[in-house]
Amino acid sequence: MQSYFNEPQRQSSIGVLVMFLDTMRHYAKALWPVLLIWVFKFDELNKPYLFLGIAAVFILIAIIAYLRYRNFTYYLDYENDEFVINEGIFNKTKTAIQLDKIQQVNINQSLIQKIIGVYALDVDTAGSNNKEGEIKAISHPIAVELKARLLDNSSRNRVALHNSTTEILSEENTPFIKISLLSLLKVGITSNYIKSFSLLLFFFFTASENINKLTGRDVFEQKNINNIDDYVNQNALITVFLIGLVSLFIIVLMINLVRIVFRYFDYKITKQKGSLLLSYGLLNTKNTIIKPEKVQITGVSRNYFQKKMNILEIKIKQATSGSKEERKSVIDIPGCNEFERDEILKLLFHQIPQKGVMLTPNFRKLGFALFLTIGLPLIGFYFFEKYNPEVGMAVNYLIPIYVIFVGVVQFFKFRNYRLFIHDDFIIKQSGAWDISNEIIEPSKIQAITTSQLFWHKSIGIGTLTLHTAGGNIAFQLGNFETIKQYVNLWLYEIETSDSNWM
Amino acid sequence: MACHLAGFKKLPMENFTNDTIDTTQLPKFEQVPMSGLHRSYWKVILINIAILLIVFCAVYVFTFAYIEELDQYHTETAVGLAILMFLITVFSRIGYKKKGFAFREHDVLFRHGVIATNTMVIPYNRIQHVALHEGLIPRLFGLVKIEIFTAGGHSSDIEIPGIEKMQAQNIKQLLMGKIQKEL
Repeated sequence: MQSYFNEPQRQSSIGVLVMFLDTMRHYAKALWPVLLIWVFKFDELNKPYLFLGIAAVFILIAIIAYLRYRNFTYYLDYENDEFVINEGIFNKTKTAIQLDKIQQVNINQSLIQKIIGVYALDVDTAGSNNKEGEIKAISHPIAVELKARLLDNSSRNRVALHNSTTEILSEENTPFIKISLLSLLKVGITSNYIKSFSLLLFFFFTASENINKLTGRDVFEQKNINNIDDYVNQNALITVFLIGLVSLFIIVLMINLVRIVFRYFDYKITKQKGSLLLSYGLLNTKNTIIKPEKVQITGVSRNYFQKKMNILEIKIKQATSGSKEERKSVIDIPGCNEFERDEILKLLFHQIPQKGVMLTPNFRKLGFALFLTIGLPLIGFYFFEKYNPEVGMAVNYLIPIYVIFVGVVQFFKFRNYRLFIHDDFIIKQSGAWDISNEIIEPSKIQAITTSQLFWHKSIGIGTLTLHTAGGNIAFQLGNFETIKQYVNLWLYEIETSDSNWM
Repeated sequence: MACHLAGFKKLPMENFTNDTIDTTQLPKFEQVPMSGLHRSYWKVILINIAILLIVFCAVYVFTFAYIEELDQYHTETAVGLAILMFLITVFSRIGYKKKGFAFREHDVLFRHGVIATNTMVIPYNRIQHVALHEGLIPRLFGLVKIEIFTAGGHSSDIEIPGIEKMQAQNIKQLLMGKIQKEL
């Protein structure tokens, strides 16, 4: 075995297959509307040409995959202390990663790679979140050997050379949190209703638009005809509406379930030298490192169902190092239980965050929210009805439903809107259904803004915004005297200590 | 227990205190006197408004010259435009009056806003870098804008316009010195 990796070498020959599937996945992603049309128009198409076309596409992809495989080489350049990857067919890319910048080398397997029996190796460096180098298909012994080489060379300049490498190897095999498929299913049926719904709408519209364009048939037109027929019979309309709603809800649920399982399958969290190493994903495995000192905002959220099932979601916002392009990286950990949450929080904060003094918003916050979400739409609807009385009458009965629904949502939003201030933690609680707690440490504050509208001066309420490198935390319409007192305290703490925010 | 403690590095006991902080005795950011922007900066704002007015008038003249159906709305549009310009001037005046800044020993304060009063505070040890920006019109009056950046992104940067160039350079020197010291 070439254990020095100083000569440019290719991936495992079976890697062609990985490249093939990977290329195919990319093209399928880009061309799915066209594929959908083909499926729809299957009967009308000239079969021999279709199969010929498909065969041609497959051969083309195979050639591209083979060239990608041929042109992909990697080696260790000992003279410049670099790890070099060459890739590309027409546009050749050469990626050189300085060995002493390498922070992390991960060996993973996605589903495709598992079936074929090869491994992927990712190289992460300091100062960015995406992986800099990726080798898609090598055998396990080579992967382990290469990883050892990379880390060995990268830690040559550091202290504790051998200890750290052996530690990594031994620690890596024992993830301390594993999120089971059952937890993911629980998450799938209890979360992201709005996100899945909008995704469904988006899917539906792009699909129908593409079908329209290419078939000349209007999906909506046919529906409208049906609707007008039903319009005569109000009862039938309501039944159709209810059935539609229920089936839509079920579809949303299913999509969400599939999406979450695909995304977070086999979620593993490993401790490594004080950092957390996450890996997850069904088709392509993602790897992320969380360094506690880089974490800015930690969010813990769950809703009523999730509370009953003992699951919750953690969102971690890290600081992106120095660059002005604000690509805030949010890391999701879905489906932990309370014990696992405490373990993660302990690792991030060295203690479990406590809720201290509670600040509540003034009732005007609720009033203003009701004005925006109920008052304004009602005024708008009033004018709409004036000019389109027929349409207005038809949907009149929806108004009380809307008012009650939005009113209840806003009430709970107001009731859950809290700021908790403790010596070491500031926690903002918010949300109507999904109640989230955003936790920051006062030392992570970059700047503080206080804001007061002039007609709030006499009532003594105002808004506080805490700016961190991972985003802002704002608390609106709280007692302004208390807010100012805490601002002075935080400023004092920040200015008298040289605590590191990153 | 005693031998356990002996293992620790001895703290200089006489210098170490850990009293409870009386938060009411802390320096209050809300009571810091703010210095306003340079008087010439109001002229800069007026020139900007004048340029805006010229643009509006040009659009006004051209649209009415080419679209004849609009002829009946001549006066209404003119009055609307006048009211709009008046409001812009009034709000700019309020905004100009309200803008203020202060450099304390450990942080910089910036106050701004029209209907709200916003006060932003950045501690010196959170400043990433400082830049001076010279606009075309402010340069005629020898004014520059100081930009103070933190790692918190655009929302947590301070931009103080209307500072005399010499003073701005002094401020920049001061800030750079503070940053160096804090590091």
